[in-house]
Amino acid sequence: MVFTSFNFLIFFPLLATLYFLFPTKHRWLILLAGSYFFYINIKPVYALLLAGVTLSTYLFTRLIDNTPNESRKKTYLVLNIVLILLPLFFFKYFGVVNEGIFGLLESLNVRWPLPSIELLLPVGISFYTFMAIGYTIDVYNEEVAAEKNLGIVALFVSFFPLILSGPIERAGNMLPQFRARKGPDYDMIVGGMKLMLWGYFMKLVVADRVGIYVDAVYHNIGEHNGTSLLFAAALYPFQVYADLGGYSLIAIGTAKILGMNVMDNFRRPFFATSMAEFWRRWHISLISWLTDYVYTPLSFAFRKYRVRGIVTALLITFLISGVWHGASLTFVIWGLMQGIFVSIEALTVKPRNNFAQRFNLKKRGWYIAVGCLVTFTLFAASQVFARADNLQDAFLVYARILSTSGPLFIGVPSILLFGLFGIGMMMLKDFTDEFMPSRFLLFENKHKPVRILSYSAVILLIFLIGVFDGGEFIYFQF
Amino acid sequence: MEVSLFIFNSDGMIKKLIYNILLVAGVLFILDFAIGRTLRHFYFREIAGFHYRTTYSMEKTMEDVLIFGASRANHHYVPEIFGDSLKMTFYNTGRDGNGIFYQAALLKSVLKRYTPKIIILDYKGEFWKGPLEYDQMSSLMPYYRTHKEIRPIIELRSPYEKLKLGSETYPFNSQILTIAMGNLDINKTRNADNKGYVPLEATHAPELKVYTSTASYEVDSNKVNAFKDFVTSAKASGAKVYVVYSPLYQKLARYQENEICSEICAREKIPFFDFSRDTFFLQRGNLFYDGVHLNHKGAILFSNIIAGKIKAGLNNSPD
Amino acid sequence: MERTDIVTKLTPIFKKVFNDDSIIITDGLTANDVANWDSLSHMLLIAEVETGFAIKFKLKDLNKMRNVGDMIDIISSKL
Repeated sequence: MVFTSFNFLIFFPLLATLYFLFPTKHRWLILLAGSYFFYINIKPVYALLLAGVTLSTYLFTRLIDNTPNESRKKTYLVLNIVLILLPLFFFKYFGVVNEGIFGLLESLNVRWPLPSIELLLPVGISFYTFMAIGYTIDVYNEEVAAEKNLGIVALFVSFFPLILSGPIERAGNMLPQFRARKGPDYDMIVGGMKLMLWGYFMKLVVADRVGIYVDAVYHNIGEHNGTSLLFAAALYPFQVYADLGGYSLIAIGTAKILGMNVMDNFRRPFFATSMAEFWRRWHISLISWLTDYVYTPLSFAFRKYRVRGIVTALLITFLISGVWHGASLTFVIWGLMQGIFVSIEALTVKPRNNFAQRFNLKKRGWYIAVGCLVTFTLFAASQVFARADNLQDAFLVYARILSTSGPLFIGVPSILLFGLFGIGMMMLKDFTDEFMPSRFLLFENKHKPVRILSYSAVILLIFLIGVFDGGEFIYFQF
Repeated sequence: MEVSLFIFNSDGMIKKLIYNILLVAGVLFILDFAIGRTLRHFYFREIAGFHYRTTYSMEKTMEDVLIFGASRANHHYVPEIFGDSLKMTFYNTGRDGNGIFYQAALLKSVLKRYTPKIIILDYKGEFWKGPLEYDQMSSLMPYYRTHKEIRPIIELRSPYEKLKLGSETYPFNSQILTIAMGNLDINKTRNADNKGYVPLEATHAPELKVYTSTASYEVDSNKVNAFKDFVTSAKASGAKVYVVYSPLYQKLARYQENEICSEICAREKIPFFDFSRDTFFLQRGNLFYDGVHLNHKGAILFSNIIAGKIKAGLNNSPD
Repeated sequence: MERTDIVTKLTPIFKKVFNDDSIIITDGLTANDVANWDSLSHMLLIAEVETGFAIKFKLKDLNKMRNVGDMIDIISSKL
């Protein structure tokens, strides 16, 4: 079941009602049953994998908790991480590695018929595997106690709002909330519905619409001129933001209605004035996960090399982030680019700050605008690798942007116009939230008629210009 | 007691929540009604273009010869040729990017009003499973309310289609700009057609592509049934029915849809003119716009062939 | 070593790492209060503190440092 399906719009209100009607002590059972129902609706066999990851994590965290022996604890930690990473590696990377070996053998003139298996990635595996790993490390570090109730662990790993595409939550935040015995909270329910509504807008009106144009251009790179490719490359970051950002809002809103606070995943990313800041605003749950479980241990290990050690840790962290997105060279390059951008910024932070301070630029509108623009451009440039199917295509996009020109490809004019209108609305909201948080309020307006009208108008806009047919969620493939 | 049913303890809250949700629903209902009805009004006022041609096909045709199909129907059958050769009136209902569901729905609305003398279905049968043709049915949505006969076809989209179509704006989803443009005068010249037919002008011959895959695809029984339904009800109406697979400028290793088409046509004793592997056309790239569409020159030639075949058939037939 | 001595010794390290001469160290000081204190400069700070006090932190110690007060506690436990 996906959030944008009609099934979900029926499933969720029913589940929420049942949840609040149930005695609070056993309410988590409803969520667990609902989560597995939600997941099984996509592909039943994959639920076995989910259950396997849960069971392994439960056993090893209990073992870590029960042994006083430090080296044993470490063995259990490593064992569980390896064990639950296996399916992820198998489904995500087996095909690529297999092909690589095959190609290598062939180039050495060895004919070794390896079976070529086309595997369908179990949805959400990248997300729930990371949540389970994070939980295991937290138990090892004594940040959280190992949960004794298998059902609660199972719920944490399978919690339906988060399982398909995050936010990648932490046990420290979620476990106590699964146990909390609160009644329905009016502000939480209404707040959750507002988040969901804006999430649907971002997903259906912006992401899916812009995606039609971007796909049309990227499916036929050789036929499009530099103007159109540049335009598509500039649109793609908006598409991804609206797509994953919108989906995250629906997830956060869903959890909120059930009374649970889930971390933010995006914070107006296109108003970041540097790449370092951008990565504190973009896909926050993934980056903070990587910071805590990859970057911090690595940079700690490399700390005696000072700046060089930190830069190495950064590059490795972003490389992993790239490979997490996809098992391809394009994502390796994408990850390295982020690492290089952030490293260069880290190395030049002192002179840049001194410069800005000397001329008192930090609060100047144009300085901020230039910062946003440069950051966006760098990110959009790297996103060419995220969108292109392979390296040749990505380089072809750059080459054609630099070497060809001509009129902009319009395709179906209304698709482009609706898409741009959606981006405009989305960015206008982000702009006012960023720079004038208490003005031009719609969903949070103190006058009730304004609020009611804004909700209705946004729903109507979704009816009018949302994409209902054939909108595939692009983050499911990760 | 541990058991506490919060929902009953927080009556006031639930009431407030439901009240506010109903309030939004009420405002939404009014906005939806007002905007949806406005769009409907202007949709049916269009006088050229896709919307207009579909409306005309469903509600106004009185012609003797009707062409049904997708883009390959629309761009391949030239009115004058059929008119001159058969001495009958002619309309081409083919619409780009629409499949058998659209054609079956159109035929239902036509047969409710009258029986054409000749019905030609141009079909590059696409019987495979996939969402595309279901999605494409959005072009039928504006007629759902007023044309009961096509409802079962639209409801194939999903079990919720009935519910979604309770909205007045949903049938016009993504159409607001097209409707606005359609009501401007420039639309008449921009979207001109000749009794439905829109010629394709090509500047150079396309490349001849050769496909080698012989794999079979999973057949969607809804689509096969819609096809069967089309030919049987067309035949039962008393019209002369022909199914045509018009020329391609590409070579396939397997024509799975032909197997299905020809089998059904043979059973129903309906002539099936198959040009998919016609060597005359395959040797003349200059008659094509692209791999699957004839250009205007090719369409004239092809229309002459089809009109000739039909004329010969009519002269030989007993009635 | 007294807490005040630790603070005295920490101050120049903070000033150097964060490139800010106006930093005043208090127990409640957190990364949010210092402009250049991010996850990058944090690790530099850790390394400089280790050298300055001739101690070694554990990775687990890092997770426990919620503010400068925590850091001082951990430092004094290692001296």
